[in-house]
Amino acid sequence: MPTAVVLILVGLTLLIVFLVIIRPEITAARGGKILAFLALFVFPVFAGVMGFENHMERSKQTAFCLSCHVMEPYGKSLNVDDPNYLAAAHYQNSRIPRDHACYTCHTNYTIYGTFRDKFRGLRHAYKYYIGHPANPIKLYEPINNRECLHCHLGARSFEQGAVHNADPQTMADIKGNKLSCMSSGCHDTVHNVPQLDHVKYWKPQP
Amino acid sequence: MTQNGAMSKKLRTAGIFITLGLVVQGISLIWNHPLAFMAFLGGGGLLLGIGIVIYLLALVSTAQTDLK
Repeated sequence: MPTAVVLILVGLTLLIVFLVIIRPEITAARGGKILAFLALFVFPVFAGVMGFENHMERSKQTAFCLSCHVMEPYGKSLNVDDPNYLAAAHYQNSRIPRDHACYTCHTNYTIYGTFRDKFRGLRHAYKYYIGHPANPIKLYEPINNRECLHCHLGARSFEQGAVHNADPQTMADIKGNKLSCMSSGCHDTVHNVPQLDHVKYWKPQP
Repeated sequence: MTQNGAMSKKLRTAGIFITLGLVVQGISLIWNHPLAFMAFLGGGGLLLGIGIVIYLLALVSTAQTDLK
């Protein structure tokens, strides 16, 4: 739900709550009791749920991830002018939604994946503001092929790729996450942050 | 304090907590910062929760008095 709609809902709820604060005696009548129930329970819960959903949605945005200082080089790597840079190639060719670039590849495509990611996000915030973020930052666990196959499974370029079909076992190993897409040496240039000062950059057309 | 007076006081208290919670939540929705979610949950959510609990307890205590 758009932020403006949630803000309008919050504003309306505030108005009704104000009415109950200023004139609590209206709750003596049946209509007043219903109004108080709406003002002090139904609307605040609804506004809270909508606000929570809005924040969850916002936290999936690329701009949100890149608003942390430590993520700046990773954002920069999305504009590297080199098709071998996995993240840049996906971002620049719109293989992933640009406004959800980080989330699309780094989420966990399981039933509670989004919530797990958001709890991890809370841990990131804790480390960033209270603890000490690792330098360079590292993934908690290697990217599972499941995340790549969420989009690539069934795609012609993947299913009929010469290297993927080099022998019958290769494809089975990729699909079973026994042969990593990235760390097996095939698509291993992802963000490559240490090299960012030595590469050319793509400038998106306005 | 009369029963109505006590109830009014509880409703006002609940209303004030809920108002503060909603204001914090509203600000967090406008604030584009990683900490906005913390403010939403830890500040707004907590205040809203306290307000709602006070209101629900007020309802329960009134119902108990009515039964007596």
